[in-house]
Amino acid sequence: MRQLPLAGGVALALLLLLAAPSLVVAGASLTAGGIVQFPPEGLSLRWYGRVLEAREVRDAFLRSLEVATVCTALAVPSGTLAAIALARWRFRAALAIQLYLLLPFTVPLIGSGIGLMLLFGELGLLGRVWPVGIACCVINLPFMIWAVAASVNALDPELERAAASCGAGPVQTFLLVTLPAVAPGILAGALVMFVLALNEFLVSLLLVDARTVTLPVQIYTQIRAVITPDLAAVSTVYVLVAAAAVLLLDRLVGLEIFLRSR
Amino acid sequence: MSEPSFSTSRRRLLGGATALGAGLAMPAILRAQEPAKPAELIVRAWGGVWVDSLKKGVSDPFTAKTGIAIRHDLTEDNEIKPRIWAAVAQGRTPPIHVNWDTTANATSSALRGVCEDLSDLPNLAKVLPLAKPIGLTGVPIVNLYSYVYVLANRPEAFPGGPPTSWNVLLEPRFKGRIALYNDGIGFHPVAQVVGGGKVSDIPGNMEACWAFIRKLKEQKPLLGEDPDFTNWFQKGEIDVACTISSNAREAKAKGVNVAWTVPKEGAKVDTDGMWIPKGLPANELYWAKRYIDFALSTEAQQVWLDGLGLPGVAPGLKPPADLVGDPSYPTSEKDYERLILIAPKIQAEHTAEWFARFKEIMQS
Amino acid sequence: MAIRGGRPAARAGRPPATAYRLSWRILDALEAVAARWPARAEGAVKWLLLAPALAVVGLLVFGLVVMADASLRVMDFRTYQLGEDYSTANYVRLFGWGAFHATLWRSLVATLLVTLFCLLLAFPYAYALTRTASARLRRVLLVGLFLPFFVGQVVRAYGWLVILGQQGLVNQALGLVGLGPYRLLFSYPTVLFGLVQYMLPFAVLMLAPALAAIPEEIERAAASCGASRGRTLLRVVLPMARPGLIAAALVVATLTLTDFAMPAILGGGTNDFLANLVHDQFFRTSNAGLGSAIALVLTLLGTTVAGLLLAAAGVGALGLRGAR
Repeated sequence: MRQLPLAGGVALALLLLLAAPSLVVAGASLTAGGIVQFPPEGLSLRWYGRVLEAREVRDAFLRSLEVATVCTALAVPSGTLAAIALARWRFRAALAIQLYLLLPFTVPLIGSGIGLMLLFGELGLLGRVWPVGIACCVINLPFMIWAVAASVNALDPELERAAASCGAGPVQTFLLVTLPAVAPGILAGALVMFVLALNEFLVSLLLVDARTVTLPVQIYTQIRAVITPDLAAVSTVYVLVAAAAVLLLDRLVGLEIFLRSR
Repeated sequence: MSEPSFSTSRRRLLGGATALGAGLAMPAILRAQEPAKPAELIVRAWGGVWVDSLKKGVSDPFTAKTGIAIRHDLTEDNEIKPRIWAAVAQGRTPPIHVNWDTTANATSSALRGVCEDLSDLPNLAKVLPLAKPIGLTGVPIVNLYSYVYVLANRPEAFPGGPPTSWNVLLEPRFKGRIALYNDGIGFHPVAQVVGGGKVSDIPGNMEACWAFIRKLKEQKPLLGEDPDFTNWFQKGEIDVACTISSNAREAKAKGVNVAWTVPKEGAKVDTDGMWIPKGLPANELYWAKRYIDFALSTEAQQVWLDGLGLPGVAPGLKPPADLVGDPSYPTSEKDYERLILIAPKIQAEHTAEWFARFKEIMQS
Repeated sequence: MAIRGGRPAARAGRPPATAYRLSWRILDALEAVAARWPARAEGAVKWLLLAPALAVVGLLVFGLVVMADASLRVMDFRTYQLGEDYSTANYVRLFGWGAFHATLWRSLVATLLVTLFCLLLAFPYAYALTRTASARLRRVLLVGLFLPFFVGQVVRAYGWLVILGQQGLVNQALGLVGLGPYRLLFSYPTVLFGLVQYMLPFAVLMLAPALAAIPEEIERAAASCGASRGRTLLRVVLPMARPGLIAAALVVATLTLTDFAMPAILGGGTNDFLANLVHDQFFRTSNAGLGSAIALVLTLLGTTVAGLLLAAAGVGALGLRGAR
């Protein structure tokens, strides 16, 4: 407790550091001029007008939502079950399994992208949007597993034993005791997976084509060409949507759920 | 070739009818047998001024004439390449119809054999010989214009007049304020000359080139790609750079004071082209060829290349007003004498090796 | 019943009797199926639970096999096809290549430094987040934690270009007091800075649940027994937060080691990491053989770093110790 003033001060300074680039990009998007700069040259919403008119941007955003949904839908069951298995049972090759499940982080994304492109190409899945969601799930799965594992560990095994001694079968215990108890971890993991899939560009770049391009890929390819304020505007819209989602989540379940340990 | 309307005899017929005019002015009898039109064609392009001028000069008029929409894919040329190669290897339909590419990069695809032959394009007979790549079988790539890697500079940094030699890159006052392409492209032959070597020794003996680049490394150069140069000039990060004239001209168009020269040692000239990946359905291949053929026409090149400020291969092009007599816009034999052309095949065969040497110097 | 008591209260609003009966019936059916599971196959249950995740990650294994094959073939630049014969030539070339040594060293040092800085900074953030009494501060910190996830790496790196450029905010401010402009961009420290800023939310996210699990009473007890602040932190909080610290270190270290975007955007072309080298080989020079070799060396390196971290902390450090 007594460390709190110091920690709080550091945290607020870091908050500024975390927010700075986004704030600058948001500020730059309000420029009336033609180039990205901060402080902006005059104030105008004209770049927003251009973005909202652009159908490709809207379409790309919808595709990104589909990608993120597919990714989360696959990550939640696979990651949750794996976390429960790893936290509750002893595996002889535990280290090997953990290192295997860490491959998504240790294989460079370009390698993963090329591999998945060849695999999906072999299976005839390229040119569709949902396989990109699967790819995003693959490359970020450790986040899901760890988020749930943190909750499983905080869950007292006595609770499950109590359920069993009261006559609950293994399925009942799992569905009615274990799952609700680890729900915060599942929710945290699902949010992170969703958001990361919404923002993934490097692997997606290899899996989409001009007709199935996602928003981050669109931003990425354009940002390298010419950085115009409309890209800053797109990014800002993204942040605003994100802020709305985070606040909504806070209203509905409370963000503190991510900190609750039991 | 299964395309009926592109058979050799008909091409000869068309070759004799060059006076008929540019673009899509095909005899009516051929138009009657045109294969089904796809709803759209996907053309890979570079972003910014590059795609904007392509759209204005080629894509939009093509759509107006044929009713086929053009979608531009802004994936980088070298990032689309492995995707096309994988598609061809796996027998899939490639992700794009037309690839707008540097000739050197395209040559690697041609050597791998993933390019359709374009020797039957009607307009090919009317344009400069430069349009056909040297040293490759058939016409896997059609070159569309050339460009020069100039010495771009900020006049404020040169109060005594514009630089005349590439040696200015080594002046101590420019330490940390010079820029090159991040693979050294466009700079090797110049470095070879400035370093005291001979162009004719490329690729056999390039020690002069590497020695000069090692000296440049001491100058802490920034390494980037096309858009970076425009940005860096705009944001005052650099004073001198070796870059394609279009990037300098683009920065100038945005109100940044940038000039460019071809120094006394000369400058590298290169070409860009278009090619079609193998594996497209027959009708889409036909219309993709028509797109490239149109890109060769004087009508399309005049508008498109005005936007880029580059000399095209079509006959009778007028240079943009601001580039008349500019050394980065070569038109005459004399202009070309100052420029150094390295055959794309030699470039393609040695890209990896040169890249490795360049990286070794720049990353250590 | 303990079980029913464990349900979320929200479900209590459902129509009672029939709904419960239906759900109980389904549960009974499931229990019946579960009961048929042969007792001696009990050990298979854990593998069954693990199987989906193993399969998902298995999609990467296909790529690894393809790359292993490619890394043993030499690219022929006259045809741009990989040779038929297997050889170790790509690996031999790699280890004799100065650019590889330089980027390898640079990536490893960055991994170490970025991980250290991230842990140092994430700890106070997570501590404030879990210990503050002010609901508002906690909410602000949480939103500040989640929002950066939505802003991709590219956009964030771009923001730094605007802030740190020659005509950027910082140099403008320095100019007011007659200093600069300085070159703040395109150097190794800039890349490290960008990486720390990018990885920080990940580190906090990994660390926070571990800190939340430490009861505050324990800290108070230590204090009341006369332990100083520093001692409580060092002897009580840090050891108990170890699973979170290890998890944070694992994420930050593996993601930094394989990062591509920050060196590409903030490095100015002369501060490449190994992943940039892989990118160059696959895309620029189209040498899938050499590119695969670098990618595999990088994977091995990342796995080794992760393995060392896990081994040093004990396999159970992540909490994935297995109770049964």
